[in-house]
Amino acid sequence: MDNPPSTELNQVERPSGQKISESFEAVLPVSELIVETEAKPTWRIPIRLGKIFLFSFSLYLFVLAINLMKAGARGITPFIRDLGIISNPIKSLGFGWLFSYLILSGSPVAAVGLTFFDAGLINEYGTFTMITGSRLGASFIVLFIGFIYVLRGRDRATSLSMGILSLTVTATTYLPGLMLGIILLNTGGLDNIQFNSSIMINSFLEGAIYPVESLLTRFLPPWAIFLTGLGVIVVSLNLFDKCLPQMTLKESQIGWVSRLVYRPIVMFIMGAMVTMISMSVSISLSLLVPLSQRGFVRRENVIPYIMGANITTFIDTLLAAVLLQDPTAFTIVVVEMISVTIISMAILIVFYQKYHRSLLNFSDWVTATNSNLTIFMFTILITPLILFVI
Amino acid sequence: MKLLIAINSLEQYRKILCFSAQFVESAGESPTILHIVKNESEQQNRSLGGFSEIAQEILKVPNITSSVRTGNAADEIIKETEKGQFDLLITAEIPINFSRIFLGTGTPHIINKVPCPVMIAKGPCRLIRRILLCDSGAGRSSTLSKFTALLVETLGGHEDVTVIHVMSQISAGPGVAGKQLRAGFDELLEAHTPEGELLDRDIQLLDQPGIHPKPLVVHGLVVDEILSEARKGDYDLIVIGAHVEKNLRRFLLENLARRILKQSDRPVLVVK
Repeated sequence: MDNPPSTELNQVERPSGQKISESFEAVLPVSELIVETEAKPTWRIPIRLGKIFLFSFSLYLFVLAINLMKAGARGITPFIRDLGIISNPIKSLGFGWLFSYLILSGSPVAAVGLTFFDAGLINEYGTFTMITGSRLGASFIVLFIGFIYVLRGRDRATSLSMGILSLTVTATTYLPGLMLGIILLNTGGLDNIQFNSSIMINSFLEGAIYPVESLLTRFLPPWAIFLTGLGVIVVSLNLFDKCLPQMTLKESQIGWVSRLVYRPIVMFIMGAMVTMISMSVSISLSLLVPLSQRGFVRRENVIPYIMGANITTFIDTLLAAVLLQDPTAFTIVVVEMISVTIISMAILIVFYQKYHRSLLNFSDWVTATNSNLTIFMFTILITPLILFVI
Repeated sequence: MKLLIAINSLEQYRKILCFSAQFVESAGESPTILHIVKNESEQQNRSLGGFSEIAQEILKVPNITSSVRTGNAADEIIKETEKGQFDLLITAEIPINFSRIFLGTGTPHIINKVPCPVMIAKGPCRLIRRILLCDSGAGRSSTLSKFTALLVETLGGHEDVTVIHVMSQISAGPGVAGKQLRAGFDELLEAHTPEGELLDRDIQLLDQPGIHPKPLVVHGLVVDEILSEARKGDYDLIVIGAHVEKNLRRFLLENLARRILKQSDRPVLVVK
């Protein structure tokens, strides 16, 4: 059974048997939490036939969406080129960033970037910066949800900390990663990493996708096909989220994430693995709520978790590149993943403690006063806009 | 209380003895001084140098058992503690020998292996009057309070013990109500939170004649907050629980005790 979009935890039973009333709401569809009094946590992941069907259907929609966008992008290329909105990599960065704000998701925007590249609308650098922009915009989602809570009267620091950390970790790893990635693309060091589509993919496309695509192209203009593709990819990614196995955390007195301080590299790997399954940083972060007692998580554990999540979140973009059957598009996504991984590992190994403290201090500064928060919000809204109009 | 005072270098000789003197008087048993030397000539130097007389003078006890071991400092201290069933090991920091990094070396290796609590004399020798007891609630945290009470009894004076718990948590999601994330001890106790109950239990264990226990809840990064409080309150001793994890947990968990020990500018007692 699917979880409702909000979860209420009403009672936590202590070892003493005393029940304490608490409540929290999780905005995203997080897993159900049952807290009991035994010692060790056990996991039950019931896999139902309905979920397998839903997953297959969402995957089909994803493939269809990529192909529709690919077909549509080719038709609208002259129009977008004339507009000049993504005529250079800086504009692409701003465009990807703003577009993600607009649709509150990064993955569809990254897929759009790849289809634009496939259609010859942007070059590899423009694609790379647009994908980076999409991730920067996507990291705004958690902050945006927190901001709504603040407007509804909730405490600033509690509601916004995770969103601010998510955004600052993304900015501080992706922007240096952008520089490194451009160098890697320029030198062509990773050009050999390519994926050649298999016969299986081709026969699937021919049998199940192309008939639908040709039917739509017969009746719709290119821009409508492109927008249909964009709509379908948003729907398919939402359906992917619903396919997540329902995790029932049982028999835990105290959530492991809030009780123990893990080595940064352990949380880094954990963030990467959870996001690889959930395919979304915001979903991956929301899973921390049921994994921790009272919805609290150790400061020490958060930043490396976000860093790990920020790398494997490209998995759907990588899949999109495979489906486009464009070897260079695949290389671009791989370069993005590798450059962000190198930057993240360098931070973890060389100056993690300083980095960690600086980001937490910054988060405290932002949430300290309304004027600080206003400055921050203004900056993150105006920056992509400036990049876009340059 | 059976004490082992381990001396690795001559530079730390007086400091370790000065620090140990506070415990020796009321310990009830004569202490054992273990000298670790690199070779025989160093052993001769120590025996000729009148160190036994100096030790007697500083510790103010007539009978001291002395022993000398040659070899790697950490290994020899571990062997001595395994042999002698000591209640407390007092020593200074043992430097890390990078050639033995995979075999175990330095103070962290000693803390991992010795069967008793370890007190590391750091900074200038100071009279222990103010103790900062750090309780995370993990493992057997009541041992920490019990041993601290025993230690204070040995010190014999009127000691202030502040039991600190660092709440380093933040809200895991935007919708999580986080009132407790900014609460002090009284509020946490009133709300029957695990943190409030943990500190309350510690205070009850420490509530003995001569001890003035005080609970303290701070919010921030664990290591930073402990070190900051130690400096701010000018504490004479930091007491922490050992992070002796085995197998997979050893690789998964951060060793906060080790980081506190490394960064502290004052004596640290690691209880196990």
